Amino acid sequence: MSILVVGLNHKSAPVEVREKLAFNANNMSAALSQFLHRYQTAETVILSTCNRVEMYVSSLEGTLTVEDILSFFADFHKIALNDFSPYMYHYKDDRAVNHLFFVTASLDSMVLGESQILSQVKEAYTTATMEESTGKVMNQLFQQALNVAKIVHTQTSIGKRKVSISSVAVEFAEKIFQDFTGKMVLVVGAGEMCELLLKHLYEEGARTIVVANRTFERAQEIANAFQGQAIKYELLGEYLAKADIIISSTSAPHYVIHADQVKEAIRHRRGNPMFLMDIAVPRDIEPEVAKIDNVYLYNIDDLQSVVSQNVDERTREVEKCRTIVDEEVEHFMARLEEMKIEPAITLLRNHFHAIGKEELDRLKPKLKNIANGDWEQVVYTVERTINKLLHNPAKVAKQEAKNGGGYRYVEIIKKLFGIFHHTDPSQQ
Amino acid sequence: MITLTHIPFVITIVLYLISSIWSIGCIVHPFVFNKKVAKWSMMMGFFIHSGFLVFLGLESSNIPITNVYESFVSLIWCILFVYINLDYLYKLPSLDTFLIPVVTALSIWALTFDGGDLFMNVSLPNFWLIAHIIPIFVGYAAFTISFSLSIMYLTQQRQLKHKLFGPLFNKLPSLEGIDRLMWKTISFGFPLLTLGLVFGMFWVKTQNILGEQWYLDYKVVLGLATWLIYAALLHMRLVSSFHGTKIACLTIAGFCLVLFTFIGTFFMGSKHAFQKMSEQTHEEILNIQ
Repeated sequence: MSILVVGLNHKSAPVEVREKLAFNANNMSAALSQFLHRYQTAETVILSTCNRVEMYVSSLEGTLTVEDILSFFADFHKIALNDFSPYMYHYKDDRAVNHLFFVTASLDSMVLGESQILSQVKEAYTTATMEESTGKVMNQLFQQALNVAKIVHTQTSIGKRKVSISSVAVEFAEKIFQDFTGKMVLVVGAGEMCELLLKHLYEEGARTIVVANRTFERAQEIANAFQGQAIKYELLGEYLAKADIIISSTSAPHYVIHADQVKEAIRHRRGNPMFLMDIAVPRDIEPEVAKIDNVYLYNIDDLQSVVSQNVDERTREVEKCRTIVDEEVEHFMARLEEMKIEPAITLLRNHFHAIGKEELDRLKPKLKNIANGDWEQVVYTVERTINKLLHNPAKVAKQEAKNGGGYRYVEIIKKLFGIFHHTDPSQQ
Repeated sequence: MITLTHIPFVITIVLYLISSIWSIGCIVHPFVFNKKVAKWSMMMGFFIHSGFLVFLGLESSNIPITNVYESFVSLIWCILFVYINLDYLYKLPSLDTFLIPVVTALSIWALTFDGGDLFMNVSLPNFWLIAHIIPIFVGYAAFTISFSLSIMYLTQQRQLKHKLFGPLFNKLPSLEGIDRLMWKTISFGFPLLTLGLVFGMFWVKTQNILGEQWYLDYKVVLGLATWLIYAALLHMRLVSSFHGTKIACLTIAGFCLVLFTFIGTFFMGSKHAFQKMSEQTHEEILNIQ
């Protein structure tokens, strides 16, 4: 039994290659069933996201090679092997397990610690189980991977700090306002960043959105997207005092919002806090605004510096995560070894019970007058003896298997008792 | 001098101190300082504190405010009692970090009043005493909590203003959330303070316990000033819907006045129905004669 992963990701391959190998919801089932059709004893899960395409395969020792999987990719997507094989990586057994745990815990993601990959792995696994392409090994492997990701996320702060400008900005807004319902968001200018921020705020519950832009049509466009209201740019001053959150990103070469305007606004607001985000370069809001009581002003550099601090924080956590992953890989490999020996132990049990049954069948005709109750006692005693005899060897074999000696023990058991796998008639 | 009977209160203080250290520590090193330790040592401290008050009450067969020390200990108990209930109702995140150290400091201060010379005139009737003291104490407790919330507000607003985004920044709730709680605690404490003062007024009028010139008693004057400052705060909030740092600063000022009214007046020579033990004994001797 071996585990193999073959795939590529954002680090190993450019998007032109990744998109050629990607699977989507429509062809995923077909891919899984085609693969199973080709390799009937194998188990497989395909993970396909925008950053990676990976195929996890488990098969009997030596029956499936990297080349087999590569050629499956080539055949399925109808592309030449040479077009993509230089970009592919592959790992086997413990390194494959390590890779999956690493990926699921989001330690291999483009944005370190993001949680999306966890749901993508979950989805890939669910699809595979629905197509019945998973078995004992893949089930264990993927359930454990999801589990490890959870452990990593709760025991370290890898995913705690926000690492995008818009999410950091929303986090700040949340430290000023308890909730965004009933809060007015005023957007000045209509840049892409503005939209992104607005989207985040909208998701968090902001519903009163006012957009002011030099070109009224563009303002209307954005306002419509968030069920907001577009206003003429000249009316900006009037709306200033009503706005709780102001996002500014005009391309004006001078300040658009001045300190005395904000001072006047805060007086009208009677100290109700105002949160201003200036994401324009050159800046839109006069820096003096920051000195006004109950006004909180952040510019693009402030937000960016928090983002890079948070990214650093995540990077520092990677070592801690790696230790957790390594430990869990070790546990999993031990369990896998234990799983390997289980069929051999079942064979051994069946073998012994078959011998017992044979002997009982021979005995029964000799004891013609035995009462039913007494005969049951005899059968019970024989079965109990067999179980007792096998208890310790099974226990010790499992124990030894955990330490990596599973394969050797399987062989010894088979040899000692003269039992062979029923699929292996040549040895009988 | 700490007498043997006050050992339980000393244990209480130690528990509050542990709770303070852990509640601050869990912000900086959440993996080293467990928040549960902070909570449970506070609860245990509160439990012993309650037991100690019952003991004091049984000893003097009166509510435990028969001297300055006892009334201080009772007030601190009230603060925690109100806090525990508010926390249960509103789930106040990280407030313990700001409140328990205040409680601990007050407790240590209270200890210095042990063995003081001022005692209450035991002949004071119980009904008026309870009607006057209990609302005021619970009101003061609410004001102490609003004081802690103000400190919390100013800390968070400073962090936002100066862009200090440390672990404390992440733990504290939003400015608006703190502001609302501050408002809730003040509007809970104010009617109680009013009630206590009105009962007190009735009391002096009907029983003449503070003498003819009762209105010149420091505690009466300052009590009125406290009432005015909180009335002003409520007015600013209700009528002018004022928010922000100014309200927080005023709340802190209000609490300082509360402390001064409660304790400071004794340093100024006010007795406010307390008598010097020596005088009391002297009177008793005279009565016997």
